[in-house]
Amino acid sequence: MIRTFYGTDTLNSPAAFFIALTIGFFFGLTLERAGFGSSRRLAGIFYFKDMAVLKVMFTALLTAMIGLSFCIGLGVIDPSTEIYFMKTYYGAYIIAGLIFGVGFVMSGWCPGTATVGMASGKLDAVVFLAGSVLGSIFFNELFSIVKPLVTWGQSTQQNMGQEGLAFVYNSLGMSKSAFGFLFTLIAVVCFWGSEYIEQQHSDEIGKTGYFNTPFLRAFSLILMVSAGGLFVLDGSVNAEKHKAVSSSYGLHMSEKALLRDVASAVDHVEPEELADYLSNQDPAVIAVDVRPAKEFNAFHIRGAFNAELPDLPQFVQHHTDKRMIVLYSNGMTHPAQARDSLARMGFRNVYLLTNGLGGFIERCLKPVSLRKEPMPENSIRQINLWRAYFYSFDNARPSVIGSNPSADSAKFSDMPPFLPGFVDADWLAVLMEKPGLKMIDFRDQPEYNTNHISGSYAMSIENFRGVLDGVPSMLMPANVIAARLSLMGIEPVFRFSQKRR
Amino acid sequence: MSSGNQKPYSNPYLAGVFLGVVLLASFLLLGAGLGASSGIARLGAFLSGLILPTHTFSSEYFGAWGEKPLHYYLVFMLLGVFLGGLFSAILSRRVQKSVVEKGNAISSKIRLIYALTGGILVGFASRLAGGCTSGQALTGGALLLTGSLIFLICVFAGGYAAAYFVRRQWHD
Repeated sequence: MIRTFYGTDTLNSPAAFFIALTIGFFFGLTLERAGFGSSRRLAGIFYFKDMAVLKVMFTALLTAMIGLSFCIGLGVIDPSTEIYFMKTYYGAYIIAGLIFGVGFVMSGWCPGTATVGMASGKLDAVVFLAGSVLGSIFFNELFSIVKPLVTWGQSTQQNMGQEGLAFVYNSLGMSKSAFGFLFTLIAVVCFWGSEYIEQQHSDEIGKTGYFNTPFLRAFSLILMVSAGGLFVLDGSVNAEKHKAVSSSYGLHMSEKALLRDVASAVDHVEPEELADYLSNQDPAVIAVDVRPAKEFNAFHIRGAFNAELPDLPQFVQHHTDKRMIVLYSNGMTHPAQARDSLARMGFRNVYLLTNGLGGFIERCLKPVSLRKEPMPENSIRQINLWRAYFYSFDNARPSVIGSNPSADSAKFSDMPPFLPGFVDADWLAVLMEKPGLKMIDFRDQPEYNTNHISGSYAMSIENFRGVLDGVPSMLMPANVIAARLSLMGIEPVFRFSQKRR
Repeated sequence: MSSGNQKPYSNPYLAGVFLGVVLLASFLLLGAGLGASSGIARLGAFLSGLILPTHTFSSEYFGAWGEKPLHYYLVFMLLGVFLGGLFSAILSRRVQKSVVEKGNAISSKIRLIYALTGGILVGFASRLAGGCTSGQALTGGALLLTGSLIFLICVFAGGYAAAYFVRRQWHD
């Protein structure tokens, strides 16, 4: 299994920059060698004079598609965690595509090819690139207007746990290999058609085309055979799937079937899904908090039961009639291990919550005003409904001080005696103007800039982190942190330890 | 300057296979495909930040990229594209000095106005789609993403619809 920079969240590390530079080098080199440093040649496709764009792009697309399918099929890479997929927004992409097409034919350039054109000394490429920079700046300036457009028409498909991620074969209701084969066939027809058109339109005498040459015949055959190979791959995967299904009818799940479940993530329940079931009070679904009782009592998802890991078999035994028993903890490791163990014992209705309790709060309960990305109207409504439901019972909030404050009773001495502690918003509202209280906003700078509690300081959490003895991402020593905090007039106070004396 | 002894272009199908392998390498190493317009947009954010820092870094779109917009892998990829293009153009003796490519029927000025207008449209549309022919059409197409293929179809629909009106720039 390959781990990618995206998968390990290190795309912005120096090593990734170097790889990106190298890949870009070969990208640019290929574009230049294909003749894409010339706008006349690029624009040729729109006048049926030079179909090189179609031939190069379509071949590259198929090569990468077939290659990647084999890598995924042979288990070289796990696409669900290691590869970045763009979501589908029909409205945004249709409008953007049309505008892009007009700009493409007017200029004879697109961003990648123009960069190569600039390297070849084309002045029109330089002017095009300057225009693209301006176009990007216009987009930023007009963002408040175009914002709803950017996410307009999100696909309803959901793949690999990502909503809006749509595959064209699903959209067309075909298998991946059938679509891949059809797509390759279309490409081959386009190649032959392009060669024929070029031969008809060619005004250059002696220009060599590829129409009906041994090369094109061999190339077409290789493409079709490679695409046909996708079926073989598909066949073997299906056979495995079939085996897994048949064995799962036995009382005990085979290890292989269990691993297949793990790989396909059918044992996961997304936070939104659980929130829906629970807020609709679906009697066939229950959530189980597997953390220690102390943590459960401090906070848990409304309606959840508490059962620690060793008690789970007994608990699940009493709920075999349920459609879904969803386990959750702070992280995902314990619920995942517990689910596998229960599956081995023959319990088929146990699931785990994707991203745990933290993910549930982040995705379902985090106030809309604190979110970075713009949200469609119906999501906002949904989140507010969930918040209203999940926060309207006693154990919904971490224990805070000053929960029932009156203006006079709020005092600094109400500070929690041990950390981490939570303070109530009303408590803060009374004391925020007083000297001796500082507020630090740890969100990203742009969010701080957009809106923040008046009087709070902005600070990046990165200030606390750094390279220590050659180890990156370490907590800085106390004196460094103290020095950084002192810039905001915050001096270390050892009040709590004094108080305990 | 256009010298007669420049090397011929590669076979487009073999160039395509090579480009496909580069894209595949990008998937397997970076975990993301190729991209060009993001680098350009980051450059836009950087330049905008030089002129109006407070306005830029507090703006909703550019602001999300932080105060160092160029600190991004696709900026390095774009730099690589330039270097790779330059390397190949020098090897193939295709480097020219400030040439405006056009037909004889129009002036350089008009051709450059077309290039500038086209550039603005492309720059804007790339942000709306979150990618261009490289990042959206080619990369997303290879991943068989519905949106990317819709984008690709619309690029050609828009291009063919407008082609008639700007055809004179290539007439000799």
